[in-house]
Amino acid sequence: MENAITMKNVCKDFKILNRHEGLKGSIRDLFSRDYKTISAVKDVSLEIKKGEIIGYLGPNGAGKSTTIKMMTGVLEPTSGEIMVNGLVPYKERTKNSERIGVVFGQRSQLWWSLPLIESFKLLRDIYLVPKKDYEDMLELYRSLVDIEPILHKPVRQMSLGQRTLSDILAAFLHNPAIVFLDEPTIGLDVSMKSKIRDLIKGLNQQKGTTVILTTHDMGDVDALCKRIVIIDEGKKIYDNDIEHLKSYFGSYRTLRIRHADDTWEERVIDESKEDVMDVILKKQKEQKIKDIQLQEISTEEVIKKIYEGSSAAKGNSSVVTSDEKKGAAEQ
Amino acid sequence: MNLRRHIALTRAGIMESLQYRLGTAVTLFANLIYLVLVYFLWRAIYDSAGTDVVNGMTFTDTMIYLILATALFNFLEMFVVWDMSRSIQSGKIILDLLKPMKFRSYTFWSYSGSHVVLFTLTFIPTFIVVMIVTHGAIPMGINLLYFVVATVLALIVNFSMEMIVATICLYTESTWGINIVKETIVLLLSGASIPLAFFPETFRKIVGFLPFRAVYDIPLTILLEKNGSDTLEGLLPMFGLQLAWCIILTVTGVLFWNHSVRKITVNGG
Amino acid sequence: MSETTLTKQKTRRGFGFYLRIYKKILVQDLKSKMSYRADFVISTFGMIMTNLSGFVTFLILFKNFPSINGWDYYHMLFLYGFSLVALTPVQCFFDNNWNLRFQVQSGDFIKYCFRPINVFFYFMSEVFDVKGLGQFAFGIGTLVYAWIHIGIPVTPLVIAKLVLFLLTASLFMIAIMNAAAATCFWIVGSGYVMVIMFRFKDFAKYPSNIFHGVFRILFTFVIPIAFVAYYPSLAILETDNIPVLTWCAPAIGVLFFYLSYKFWMLGVSRYDFTGS
Repeated sequence: MENAITMKNVCKDFKILNRHEGLKGSIRDLFSRDYKTISAVKDVSLEIKKGEIIGYLGPNGAGKSTTIKMMTGVLEPTSGEIMVNGLVPYKERTKNSERIGVVFGQRSQLWWSLPLIESFKLLRDIYLVPKKDYEDMLELYRSLVDIEPILHKPVRQMSLGQRTLSDILAAFLHNPAIVFLDEPTIGLDVSMKSKIRDLIKGLNQQKGTTVILTTHDMGDVDALCKRIVIIDEGKKIYDNDIEHLKSYFGSYRTLRIRHADDTWEERVIDESKEDVMDVILKKQKEQKIKDIQLQEISTEEVIKKIYEGSSAAKGNSSVVTSDEKKGAAEQ
Repeated sequence: MNLRRHIALTRAGIMESLQYRLGTAVTLFANLIYLVLVYFLWRAIYDSAGTDVVNGMTFTDTMIYLILATALFNFLEMFVVWDMSRSIQSGKIILDLLKPMKFRSYTFWSYSGSHVVLFTLTFIPTFIVVMIVTHGAIPMGINLLYFVVATVLALIVNFSMEMIVATICLYTESTWGINIVKETIVLLLSGASIPLAFFPETFRKIVGFLPFRAVYDIPLTILLEKNGSDTLEGLLPMFGLQLAWCIILTVTGVLFWNHSVRKITVNGG
Repeated sequence: MSETTLTKQKTRRGFGFYLRIYKKILVQDLKSKMSYRADFVISTFGMIMTNLSGFVTFLILFKNFPSINGWDYYHMLFLYGFSLVALTPVQCFFDNNWNLRFQVQSGDFIKYCFRPINVFFYFMSEVFDVKGLGQFAFGIGTLVYAWIHIGIPVTPLVIAKLVLFLLTASLFMIAIMNAAAATCFWIVGSGYVMVIMFRFKDFAKYPSNIFHGVFRILFTFVIPIAFVAYYPSLAILETDNIPVLTWCAPAIGVLFFYLSYKFWMLGVSRYDFTGS
């Protein structure tokens, strides 16, 4: 199958001013030419097939946003190649943006004071969507989610959940080949989260849209993604399907023990190092056990292990690598 | 009153202002060009007038007055109204209200840092340049001390006016409108765009009692030792006016703010 | 079938396309503004206040000084009205420049880069400032009043010249504000640049022959405030002796606008979209 996105050895560096601490440092910075280069993305290669939903994960400041900004064409990579829908995004940003949709964090891209339906109509005109396609899409939306309550509401009066929902709908409106969703469920309640997951899944199946999803919510990953890519400190550290991820840490189990006072104790056990039965026996000598559960390790736990593993491997080198940290430094 | 806390805020403000080093440099440069504009305009005006002294102001007096007024304007300019309206819209206002400090003094001391930076970076250099260029047209004596006192009072009056206007933002979203009305009135009636000496007699008398004069006109008049401010009899009414407005506006502002905040907490924003 | 519509669509995104989109956004925007009547009233009041205050300053000045560089009261008034009208487009159509630095700093600006339309257009289209119309009315009133007192004949040719040179004059102020706003892509905390540049407009209403030497060149070709009212208005006020710069003004205006647009767009491409 054809690739929706191909990245080859992509790097992105930022140059920032070395800031010094304290009042004296601030005064010194006034004249300083002391810049340092930080690498937000280091040598990342990636292939994403058409119609896939990819979970793009990583701890805060790992370089996720920077990657997405490069894929959407707003940032130019320092080195390496990117092809999106057969285009080089930063060279043909306008052309590229016809065929992608983006939902970026909690920033609404809709017209703040307009009712949603008017935003839709404007987008229809901007993307030159044929009338029939537009109406079919609205019909599809209606079948997937109840849009009537929000359709005539100005975006500024919407709740966060409604706004996110609107933004996702707006991103799919021109039937793009790829949609980038950056933390679409952040800050939402459980029912809204599941509504949004159903919507994304439905649109992906009906329209065959490729979806790149960044999130910190493993519920999103479990519900939507077959394949996940993890990056940390700008480097790709995992790229495979979610099943493989679990077998990657297959020797881990979560052991839950119920004590006499009905409290549950949770423990992750590496079976290659210690035997589950040994642990239970040892526990039993200490106190009475009322119940035992043995679970497969959750995605959340696995991801946590991977993040921890990757930062442990690098020791405590505190190199600033991320765009997000850079932003923080500037403020 | 915990002084350490206040100084910490001032210090943070200074550091924050210094972060914008290019911004500071560009501001200085743009200011310089602005002053050149003011110079040429008034040069032309005085040349066309045919006399050297108009309404008791020589060209040099007018220039010093306007240049220093501009420098004061840059130093005193606050964006309390804008900051307030943005923090209301984003909901950040709630966090500000939760700070372990009165909102009013928190805001005041947060701004104090940038005041210190701007005073050092814009006002003092301008002052020195004006002093050198005019060969001692600015009297150098005890009036400098009076000027500093008057400036501090001006700062408080200005801040109080800002806070009162900012409080109005709790009621309406029309920040731009409110702010522009405030700015226009202050700039015209404080003598920042045209020295009050040029105003028609009756108009000037009325303006003389309003608080706006306390912001630009009084400190500059004292600095230039005009209108009898070199004598104690001339000086005291000016300080009296500033002080009176400081008290009136601070009290009004605090009462208005407390009343409005209670309204918010009752209505839940 | 879909192939042909696609190629047809490509060619359709020209001037007409943008005009249509702007009109639609404008209509919707006005509709929603109507629902905030208090804001509208207060803003309009504010706008009237600024214009009144400018006028009062002007009157006070002329009470003390009968003429400036050989320009009498009515000619100065003409220049004043001319500058107000010329400033209307920048106020009405390019007011979003004032929000640029906040959006750039917070990172919200990125949303303008995901659409298949011109970023500059998209950004500016978001705000239409109705208040500018109040200024327009005020300016026209002043202009007409001065016009009658000076006794300039009203012929189709003069009116055509007036329109052309008003448009020309407005291009310069737009260019100044675009360039001033775009500095925020490079410089954090460049807000004052815009504030000061906007204050420069107050000097547009004075004859630019008050400037001498280097500064005349500076205020003509670098920060072109001499073109915001002085040079274009000479086309109406003078019968003969019209300076060459007046005739060149339309071309120079287009050039300045184009350069400021390029500078703005360069800023967009340079900007790295960090921010929290």
